[in-house]
Formats: sequence, structure tokens, C-alpha cells
Amino acid sequence: MADVLGRWRLERLPSPSRLGAVLVPAASILLALVAGGLIVALAGQNPLAVYGAMLAGALGSRNGLAETLVKTTPLLLTGLGVAVAFRMRLWNIGGEGQFYLGAIVATWIALFGLPDAGGWALVPAMIAAGLLGGALWGLIPGALRAYLGANETIVTLMLNYVAILLADWLVHGPWKDPQAFGFPGTPRFSSAAALPALAPTRVHLGLLFGVTAAAVLWVLFRRTRWGYEIGVMGESDRAARYAGMPTRRTILLVMALSGALCGLAGMSEVAGIGQQLQRNLSPGYGYTAIIVAWVGRLHPGGIVVVAFVLAALLVGGDQIQMSMGLPAAIAPMLQGIVLFFLLGGELLTRYRLVRHPAPSDAAATGAGT
Amino acid sequence: MTITRRALVGSLSALALSGATVTVRGGLAATQEATPAGGGEPIKVAFIYVSPVGDLGWTWAHDQGRIALQEAMPNVETVFQESVPENPADAERVIRQFAEDGARIIFTTSFGYMDPTINVAESYPETVFVHISGFKTAANVGTGFGKIEEPRYVSGLIAGEMTESNQIGYVAAFPIPEVIRGINGFTLGVRETNPEATVRVVWTSTWFDPQKERQAAEALLDGGADVIAQHQDTPGPQQAAAARGAFGVGYNADMGTIAPDAVLTSPIWHWEVFYIDTVQKVLDGTWEPTQYWGGWQDGLVDLAPIGPMVPEDVRAMAEAEIDRFKSGEATIYTVFTGPINDQSGQERVPTGTAMTDEELLGMNWFVEGVEGEIPS
Amino acid sequence: MRSVSKHFGPTVANDAVDFAASWGEVHALIGENGAGKSTLMSILAGLYRPDAGTLGVAGEPVRFRSPRDAIRHGVGMVYQHFMLVEPFTVAENVLLGARDRGVVLDTRSVEADLSRLGERYGLAVDPRAPVWHLGVGERQRVEVLRLLLLGARILVFDEPTAVLTPQEARSLIATLRALAAEGFCVVFISHKLDEVLAVADRITVMRRGRVAATTTPAETDRRALARMMVGRELAAFVEHPAEEPHETVPAGNVALRVRGLRARGDNGLEALAGVDLEVRAGETLGIAGVAGNGQRELAETIVGLRPTAGGSVHIGGRDLTDKGCSAVARTGVAHIPEDRLATGLVGSLDVSENAILRDYRRPPLARGPFLVGRAVAAFTDRLIHGHDVKTPSRWAKVRTLSGGNQQKLLLARELAGDPAVIVAVHPTRGVDIGATEAIHGSLRAQRCRGAATLLIGEDLDELLALCDRIAVLYEGRVVGELPARGADLERLGLLMAGIQEATASGATAADRPPVVLRG
Repeated sequence: MADVLGRWRLERLPSPSRLGAVLVPAASILLALVAGGLIVALAGQNPLAVYGAMLAGALGSRNGLAETLVKTTPLLLTGLGVAVAFRMRLWNIGGEGQFYLGAIVATWIALFGLPDAGGWALVPAMIAAGLLGGALWGLIPGALRAYLGANETIVTLMLNYVAILLADWLVHGPWKDPQAFGFPGTPRFSSAAALPALAPTRVHLGLLFGVTAAAVLWVLFRRTRWGYEIGVMGESDRAARYAGMPTRRTILLVMALSGALCGLAGMSEVAGIGQQLQRNLSPGYGYTAIIVAWVGRLHPGGIVVVAFVLAALLVGGDQIQMSMGLPAAIAPMLQGIVLFFLLGGELLTRYRLVRHPAPSDAAATGAGT
Repeated sequence: MTITRRALVGSLSALALSGATVTVRGGLAATQEATPAGGGEPIKVAFIYVSPVGDLGWTWAHDQGRIALQEAMPNVETVFQESVPENPADAERVIRQFAEDGARIIFTTSFGYMDPTINVAESYPETVFVHISGFKTAANVGTGFGKIEEPRYVSGLIAGEMTESNQIGYVAAFPIPEVIRGINGFTLGVRETNPEATVRVVWTSTWFDPQKERQAAEALLDGGADVIAQHQDTPGPQQAAAARGAFGVGYNADMGTIAPDAVLTSPIWHWEVFYIDTVQKVLDGTWEPTQYWGGWQDGLVDLAPIGPMVPEDVRAMAEAEIDRFKSGEATIYTVFTGPINDQSGQERVPTGTAMTDEELLGMNWFVEGVEGEIPS
Repeated sequence: MRSVSKHFGPTVANDAVDFAASWGEVHALIGENGAGKSTLMSILAGLYRPDAGTLGVAGEPVRFRSPRDAIRHGVGMVYQHFMLVEPFTVAENVLLGARDRGVVLDTRSVEADLSRLGERYGLAVDPRAPVWHLGVGERQRVEVLRLLLLGARILVFDEPTAVLTPQEARSLIATLRALAAEGFCVVFISHKLDEVLAVADRITVMRRGRVAATTTPAETDRRALARMMVGRELAAFVEHPAEEPHETVPAGNVALRVRGLRARGDNGLEALAGVDLEVRAGETLGIAGVAGNGQRELAETIVGLRPTAGGSVHIGGRDLTDKGCSAVARTGVAHIPEDRLATGLVGSLDVSENAILRDYRRPPLARGPFLVGRAVAAFTDRLIHGHDVKTPSRWAKVRTLSGGNQQKLLLARELAGDPAVIVAVHPTRGVDIGATEAIHGSLRAQRCRGAATLLIGEDLDELLALCDRIAVLYEGRVVGELPARGADLERLGLLMAGIQEATASGATAADRPPVVLRG
């Protein structure tokens, strides 16, 4: 007898149903809230009150909404960035490093490259620097993959450490603010280097970059030859070669674009929020981006939505401790549960659980005579 | 936990930098007679922590202060957020949210929160902000820190008596003035009782990493050290010392509760002294944006109970010294009074001269008796 | 094995097959591709379960649930694709299968066993070498050693010499003989008649899912074996099915010329050893041959998917040797690849995305860097309607279409630009009868239009129906070529088996058209 478990298989569905694409995530979030609620209740709190506090904290006030948008910005840009590579099945795990490199190069422009320039020259120069820095950090693994066949997953991951340590070294060493008593961190940029705020809040121009990038990518993916090539190459290397697509060049360009968007995220974070480069600039945006990109199904519109929802979860999560006194660890746990259910639901829209009928014993015996 | 977590207190040069008002004060009498404001709406006091409250280190010490404040002043409601990253995006958001939620006073307890604190304070002029360990102030932003080198010096006196190999290990986080000053204060104590002893420093580049801290301590023990001191936030180094049958000097909390056979004593904080005083002043309407730097006499810093392995004569010597600090007879300035030589043997502080606040707060050299380098 | 049957969907792979092999003999199993040899042996090795029929080992009826189960009964199979874990050593790989050897992995005793067995049967291999260090021949030895160590007494080899160098093949054959001499039962599948005659004690020939004959080398020769393999009632081929169109199209200029073409296969061995071909406009040249004789490499090299190792490819008079796939396609070469869902189509993309795979760069589908949605839709609709592709919509994933409709879509796209040259590999493999007819119709229409077609097929009926001439590929060379009209099937079969001196066969061959020998 085949063991019982062995008869159940995940089978790829021929094509995900459109209705399911909407209903399943909704059901997933609902289930996640129920599961999270159980845990909150076990911790001795009213789940509804906790969720209410989260919602109010993230979206219920002008300030909360603004902070959610501030958090959305880097998640959106890095999410779009890695999604570009993922669409071609290039596993760019290096969003974090590209984010840092964009921030580093932009900081160089602000502090040393054009320190005295006015905002109209400085900000565009920093934008270009952020894009270039990230693109460079994407191109390195891209070139290694295209010409030497090096595994981009490993290379991008390694380059994350290089970029983070480079930033560490700069803020501890050559770029350290001499007036900060030995504390790591660059001096503050001049006010001309600050990204303009979009309202009297901390929401800055970076959000606009993100939304624009999403729109541009949507056109790119849906409406251009290049986006089409990326899609084909991502699905089938043989088919791409068969159609005569320039695989190497596309790998380079895609990794550069992917890195550039992550670099832009880093640039907009230093120029929009802190106006200085410091350690721990990113709490792991480049990694969270991977989740954003997948849950958003690599679709620019989906990524906009997911980046916002995730930002709201993160911002609202803080409220759990601030106003309810629950341990801070509850918030990431709730976030984890939501993501778990979303990704699990995702699996069910693409696959279904099938019980394989074992060859019936009667038939086997019959044949055996 | 990162290097930017905290720092030194105000200095005059910071004034020029930030353009803020600075008042350097030597100390502040603990407000024993604190009378809670009776009746009325409770005022909300918020705390922002960099690590979990259970770290048994820096954040734990601050949270003990918060709990004591809550108990001492029933009309105060305290709230806190732990594990807040120090990047500007997150730190500023949490601080802002507390201000938005109506906190009257907000304590931000890590150096990395300095600029976010200043930024948020600008938007909430009615709210009082107090940043621990930084140097920037504003009309509604004060700072607070303490002279932990005073108890560190006394712990050094004990360690100097207790070492047999004349080698003391010191697990240190980052080569910044706060840590360097602590190492120097400790070493001056060690050399006072044992001129033969040296203090060997290992940098971990982390405040909070039990594994790494423990490994650093083990390396020092392997090198012959028989007492392990630390400027770290976990008891890892003390546990390593205990495992080898060596002694140790903890930090932040009484680490003798974790490694009773090893820990000689631990320099500790009593943040409630500062917190209660600050809240009372705000209630009284007498609060000003000062740069508070409290010492042993103020009760802000202290030494945890001395372990039973310390012989009676050493204990008596230490207790006499503790009394001198508590009475104000000894201070950080008497500790750092010349003659003090640096590592090369060159005299840095002439006989009879005390170092100034500014010199102490920017200290970037080791005293004679320290083995190790300050990376540039 | 008695009355064993196995179906895959509508395809009958084995139809009431009786098969017996004895202890101490080397038993060869031969037949054309698709004759059912591999299926039969996979049933014996427990990989497939028969739909009907019984198996017996040493007189005991058995029913295997898995390959592991088969090995427990002493039956083991060496597949063409080795099942080894590359980073592990030889001994570790052997241990992987040996669950019965206990929880503790006793590498040392396994290493000793391996050395002993290796010496005894000429299967020397270093037990401590990581598998990725080993060549193909050595890996095969590891597979054999593993089965021996697991206690297999019946050893089945699936085309074991196909992947080997001649030296390795000789060594393996010696091993097979040694095993038989020790009393093992050795069954091996092969296409190579010389080899079979040299090694086997008995030979079973399969054809179309049935056993055609069982014989011994003493009773037969290559010619007889080839006839048995191809052997079909010639009556079925009395008339050339494509008589009419073939008469009406005058052959034009040479559209495709291949000279001395050499190329390596995926395994690095030489797959094409100097192929010469010419196809004229309006002409269809069929390539016949047993699978694995260079057909795939020939098609891929011509269309620029595989680099050449010598020789040239001229299309329409232009030298396109190693110019790359898109240059070849631009010259007007359509390619219907062997594995349509891996190369020609992208299953996870939709119909319209697949429809534009060739022409997406050109107007009207593209305007500058942009794709023109309306033009893409119109183009897709034209392909769908023009070739009667049955699909729910333009947005249906190609994976969800039936094999026949996939192939029709592929054909529609490739033929859309009225190509001068068509390279088609197994265009109707795995396709239902209706689609097959439609595809044949399309190819005939292209021929009438004046396209030069190179049709690589494994189905002789198809080649005979569609081609003007048929060339036979054997071990990377064209060993013979003959007109399709009235072709002598027996001679074709002999050529496919590598027997070139076909004209020496006596009277029956005399009135046939002469075979053109090349290479």
C-alpha cells in the first residue's frame, strides 16, 4: 500500500481563475486576522480593540496616514526593483545592498560632489547618483551571471554585506561627522539636498518616484517589446534563444534597472528622511521587498497595494505596544501571520490539492490472474 | 543594537553646532520629597527603548526607572515602545506618534534618537523631550546622562585587588568617548590598588550580542585574564568568566544574580532618580532644557552589592571609597586628576589638575595600563 | 512477463507482451523508437505498473509497487539518465539506496565491497571520488555497482552504450558477459544491431508495442533483424499518399545547403560527423533514422541554436553558419522544434504572447519600442483562424491547450511569414489524428508555395507521405538517400540500422532506385 500522504499532490492549475485572484487574498487576510486574534486573545487582550488600534494608528489620523506613506516609499521602490529582476527569473536578493549603494553615492554628491549647489541642481544630481549607484550594484552580479554564469542569488546576497559594510566604514571613518564626538554618521546635508516634502508632513518626493516608477514599469511590462522579452526570457530560456532574444544584454539591463530602483529608494531615504548617511539606514527594506514583490505577484499595481498594506501593518503594529501595552514582539508576529496566509493562499490560487487515486486493488488483482 | 545608540552628554562645542541653549550642570539632588501632583488628569510619560525590556542591560535599567517612576507618582501614566530601530524613519515615527497621542514628556533612551527627537520636538512645542546620552538640545529638549565612571573606578579598585594573573580583560562595544572614558576610569582604579596589573581591551562592535560578547570574553580568558569587565548590554561575558572559574565586573544591572560565583560587583544605573525629578519639575512648571550629567552623589549611578568572594579588607576599602563618592568628596573629577599618563607613558594630565567636562566628554586616548588600540 | 499491457492515454505502449529472459544469459531487446521497449523494461523495474498482465521472477509471481520494491526482488535497472547525487562520493551514492544497511552509514565497508565487486566484474571506480569528478562511463559503473550491492540478480540496461565512447562500450560489454557468466540475468535495450549480435545470447525484437520475434544471433543477421524492426506489411504503402502535389511542383533553386556539418551533442560527444544536404525550393527532404543519431543536433545547428564544430550552412545562397538564431530566422527560416513546449512555445504565457514570439520586433506588431496591442490581437486572431487553433481566447495560457492545438499555433506562427525554408522536427509527435492531418496539409501547402522543407521524422509513414526524398541519418552521417516515391522500406530499415551495402541484397533490390551513398 502506498502511504496515505503520498497520494496527495499539489497540482498546478491550468490557469489561475480571475475571481480567485481577488477572493483568495481577501480570504487569506481574514483567516490571518482570525489566527492573529486568537494569539492576541491568549495574551489577554481584546483582538478587536487591538486591530482597531492598529487601524487607527496606521490610517486613522493624518499623521498616521502620512507615516504609513513614508514607510510605503522605500518598500514600494525596492519592491518594484526586485520585481523587475524576478519577472525575468533573476533572483536579485541584493535589494538591500543596492539600496545602500544608492544612498552612499547620493550622500557623496550631497557632501562632497556638489556641496554648494542649489536644490535645483543638487536634488536631480542626487537622484541620478542614487540610480547609478544602485545600477552599478546590480550590474556586477548581472555581468557575472551573463558572462560567467555565476549564480546571481549568491552574488547579490554577498554584495549586500559589502555595501552595508562599506556604509559602516564610511560613517565610522572617512565620512564621519567631525563634530559628533566620534559617533558614527555623516554630517547633515545642506537643506538644498533635502527632498521636498509633499505636504507639511514627512511624506516626501520619494513617494512620487515610487508611484511614477510603478506606472512606468506597468507600461514597460505590458506595452513594450522589452517588457515582452523579459517575460519570455523569464519563462523559458530556450524559447528566448529560439526567438533570437539578446539574453546577455537583457540580463545586464534588467539587473541595472532592478538595482537602480533599489538605489533610488536608498537615495530618497537619506535625502527625504534623515538627511544624513548612518548605520542601519535600512531595517531590511531590500529583503522585505522580496515579500512585497511576490505578494504583489510581480505586478506593479499589486506591488503598490502590497507596499502600502505592509507599511500600514508595520506602522499600525507599533500602536499595539504604544496604546495597548502588549509586548512589541506581537506586532511582527501578526505581520508574519498575515504574510504566511497570503503566500499560502497564493499557492492555492495556482495549485490545487489533488488526491491521486491509487490503482485500485481490484483492478490490480484482476490483471494479475 | 548599534553604535549610535547613546553617547556622551553635552559639551560646549555642541552649542555652536546645534545653536541650542545649553546649561551644563554638575548634579542634581535626588528629589526624595517628591510630592505627586494631586488629582486632575494623569499626565502621560512615554519611553522609547532601543532593545527589548528584558535585555537585562541598558533598556532593562531604563525600564526599571520607568516602573519606579510609575510607582512613585500615581498620577503619572507611563507608556513605552521597545525595540525601536534607530533609523530616522522608524525612530521619528514612534516619537511623533507618542507626541500625537498626547504624551506630556517623552524620554528617548538611545543616542541614535537624537536627531529624530530634535525634529519631532520642533512640531510639538508644548511637549517636553528628554534625550538620553546625546548633546543636542532645544527650547523643549533637554538631555540626561550619568557619571558611570565613578562606580567603574571603584569596581576597578576591587578588580585590581582580586586579580592574580595581573591581567584583566575588558569586553568593550565601540571605541567612542563614553566607552573609552569608562575603560580609563576602571583602569585608574585597577592601577590604584595594583600598579602591576594591565587591562586588555577587545572591541566587539556591538552593544547587544550575547554570543559575540561571550566569545570575546573567552578569548581574553584564553589570553590569561582572570577578571572580565565589560561595557556591553548582556551578561554573556560574566557567564563566560563564571564558566572558567574567573571573576568579572558586570554592567547596567546587578549581574551577580546571573553569575553569583563570578561577579565581584556591577556599576549600575538608577534612572528613576532622573526621571522622577524631571517629571516633578515639569509638573511644577520649573523644568528647563538642561543638560543633566548626574553622579553617584545624586544617586543616578551606583555599585551593585559586592560579591561574597571579595575578602573583608578589600570590601572595607571599597565601601569607604563608595562613601566618599556618595558624600561628594570624590567625584569623576578627582578620579581624572593628574598625574595621568597615556599608554606611551607620556603625561597627559599634570599633577593636581582635573580634567574638564569637555576633555572628559571627548576623550579619545587610553591611560597607562590599558592594552589595546583605539581604531582611528 | 506475460500478457503485459500498458497504455498512456490513448497510446498503447505495450500490447499483451510476453517476454522471458533466463539466468546466465544476455538478452537484447531491440526495436524502433516508440516500439515499447523502454516501457516494458520500466514495468519490469517497478517504475510503471502494468495495466494488465503478470510478472514472475524465478517462478514466483510478483507485483512491484516501486523500483525499490523491484530491487528487493532482485530486479534493478540502469537508466540512460543516471540517478546520482553529484556532490556525494561513489560510496555515499551507493549507500543512498541501501536503506537496509542500517542507520549508521558504514562507508568503509561499502568502499571495500565496491572495490571487490569492481575488480570482479571490470567495474573499477574509486569509491571515494565525488561523482561530479567522474566521466559518463564511470558514472554508469557506479549505477551498476549500486544495483549489484543492493542484491539485484536481474539487471536491465536502457541503451547503455548510447552515451559511451567506443572504448567504454567495449569494456561495458565485457562486464555484461562476465555478469551473465556468473549467473546473472542481463537484459539490455539497444538500437545497435552489431552490438546486439556480438553480445546477446538471445534477441527479442519489439514493434509497435508487441513482440515481433525472439531469436538468437546464430539464427539471424543484421538484415533480418532490421527487417523485423521496421517490418510492416508493404501493402500499406502501395500508393504514395502525396502523389498529386508532388507531381505539380517543379523543384527550384537550392534553398538550403549543408556542407560537412559537424556538431557536438549535449553530452559533448560528436553528434554530427560531417553531414551534406541540399534542399531545393518546393522540395521536401525527409530525414529518417533511429532517434539519437544526430537528428536533433542537425536541426538545431541549421537554425543557429547550436554552434557548429565544422562545415557550413547556406540558406538562400547566404552563409549563415553560426550566425545565430535570429539571423537565421530573419532570412526566412521557420523552425518547428522537437520539444514544442520547451523551445517553440512558452506554456505559461498566453496565446497572443506566443503568437508574436517571432515577429514582435517588426511593424505592425511593434512601433518603436512599443508593442501595438491592436495589431497583436489582429495578428493572433489571424493565426488562430488561419490554422483553426482551438483556444478559449487570446489570453488562454498555451499550457492549457491540447498538444494538437499547441502545435497548430506553433505552425501557424512559423509559417506566417511565408518562409523560404522550413525545418520541422517530429511535427506531429504526440498530436491527435485531426491535428496531424491539418499539420500535414499545412506542410504540403507550403511545399506547393515553394518552400524548401527539411522534415525530420521518426514515423516512416509520415516521411513517405510528405517527402520528395528521404535521407537516412546514422551516427551523425547521411548514410543513404532515396526518393520517397516507391521507396523500398526494407532498404530504408537497413540504412537506419547502419547497413550501407544495401545493393548487395540480390534480386529484390535490383529494380529499386539506386541508393545515393554519401559521407
